[in-house]
Amino acid sequence: MPETVLVIGGGPAGLEAARSVAAIGGRAILVERRGVLGGTPDESSYAALTPRMGSAQDALDELRAGVADPAIDVRLETLVTGCSGSVGDFSVSLSGPGGESSERVGAIVVATGFQHFDPGRETQMYGYYEYPDVITLPDAEKMLKEHTFVRPSTGEPPRNVAFIQCVGSRDRRIGNEYCSKVCCGVASKEAIEIRRLLPDTKVYIFYIDMRMYGYWENEIYWPAQEQYNVTYIRGIVTEIVGKDGRLLMKGEDTTMGRPLEVLMDVIVLSVGMEPSRGTRDVAGILGVDQNKYGFIATPGEPMDPVSTSVPGIFVAGAAAGPKDLEDTIGMAGSAAIRAVAAVRGQAPAQPAAAR
Amino acid sequence: MALQARYEDVPLETKQHLFDQVKADARFDSYLYGCYECGICVAACPSARFYDFSPRKIAQAAGRQDLPMFYEQLNDDIWNCSQCFSCTRCPRGNNPGGLITIMREVAINNGLSSAKHALEGYGRVVYKIMSTGTQVSPDMLQPNAFPDWGPHVQEISDNLELWRRALPPDTLHTTSTAWEVDDRTLTELYLIWHMTGVLDMIKSVDMGLHMILNDVMEELLDEAGYTAD
Repeated sequence: MPETVLVIGGGPAGLEAARSVAAIGGRAILVERRGVLGGTPDESSYAALTPRMGSAQDALDELRAGVADPAIDVRLETLVTGCSGSVGDFSVSLSGPGGESSERVGAIVVATGFQHFDPGRETQMYGYYEYPDVITLPDAEKMLKEHTFVRPSTGEPPRNVAFIQCVGSRDRRIGNEYCSKVCCGVASKEAIEIRRLLPDTKVYIFYIDMRMYGYWENEIYWPAQEQYNVTYIRGIVTEIVGKDGRLLMKGEDTTMGRPLEVLMDVIVLSVGMEPSRGTRDVAGILGVDQNKYGFIATPGEPMDPVSTSVPGIFVAGAAAGPKDLEDTIGMAGSAAIRAVAAVRGQAPAQPAAAR
Repeated sequence: MALQARYEDVPLETKQHLFDQVKADARFDSYLYGCYECGICVAACPSARFYDFSPRKIAQAAGRQDLPMFYEQLNDDIWNCSQCFSCTRCPRGNNPGGLITIMREVAINNGLSSAKHALEGYGRVVYKIMSTGTQVSPDMLQPNAFPDWGPHVQEISDNLELWRRALPPDTLHTTSTAWEVDDRTLTELYLIWHMTGVLDMIKSVDMGLHMILNDVMEELLDEAGYTAD
């Protein structure tokens, strides 16, 4: 019986899952679609991580160093193209730079992640593809990584900046009914960074509910409001129209009970999480159930967040739905242990909820 | 920010200038942190039950530095607060009532006509408290003594005993049972009014009252070896 665990995806979840498999004496094959490890935080140029503002690249470097281990076989530019067998003895087809190959593995960890919601889709347009100064959280992140924040249309620093929360999340009309969990914190973090770079710029966050649970509350939300004077206004913007080269934003200030119209120079759409292309593809290839939003289903929740519908196939990170990095890393360790146990035929009894 | 605002004819610089004075107050930073807009201050506020008044909006406008709204509040809202500080149960540690204290001082120090108007009815109360150092008691509530106490003063004073039995206060002080303030205490009080700027504040809203108070205080302060100004 093969002792090896296949980890699909080289982002934070996959890196940590592979490292954990090796740390407890197993062997791992880590496959990654791109030519570099690091996943979405790397691909989307994340600058500083929420909530503690540490460098994303430093954090990823640590995770990458974790898979520099003889027990981990890293395959870059490699896709999973087929899978057969069952727990303890899967046969998987891989397609990489060296051509096709087949591997026998005892268990699989899916760590294929999420993609940012595309704000051009359907009704929540906000003129993303019309106005260059309407951008998304990852677009802002790219600028902040270069320690700058300007109006894309002019290259000048903005006077007024607004974030619009829940773009692509919590919306029955577009089918994404869930909360994407991290956008409130990330928007607040970016707002702080903008205020640090541009002390004369006013920064607004328009929200439905601010959801910064646990320590994100006092580590991000309070400082943003109290030290950096970020203005939080409860109310979602209905539309954005161009006016005299700026952006006129219409909405309601719900807690003050009045409609409002404000001129902004940059508007940042806080786009949420959707299952990545890889997550959708891999779910089909492996034959694991997806939930109604396309994320990998985890029928054992709440007590078992890593088992999928197929015994021996586990999931870690945002492939299973919106996750912050803390949850992703914790989940990756749990999935690794469950995978190695499955390989060794010592799978712990399923919690009651999963039976 | 808002589509409709009162006092649009007042220049933004004036509003900014007044806001800056509030923000520069040494107490400001410990009275305002951030606002959840949870509404616990409004829920606790007795004034909010009777007037169109919201301590939450006071905290929010100050936090957002929303100058048009701040200026509206400075003129139209802050005198609706009873300064009971029930709003200090704020989970963020804010003190909206304290913000109002600062805003009232700024309104008075800048001689805002709304402040003068709001304080008109209190001239005699202020005179009584500041000159005698003791309280106003309900049996003073007579139309002759306090004609500026509103249209119901006649009706209330006619049946005062009945009113007091119907709504028994903790104490039933009257002019005859109120405490007597000795000269030394009164001298100290007068000095406090002078040295803390209270008299200057009164001067900016009511010149007449200021003159009368100065006259009353002068003698006692002279005797104690101080000059009245």
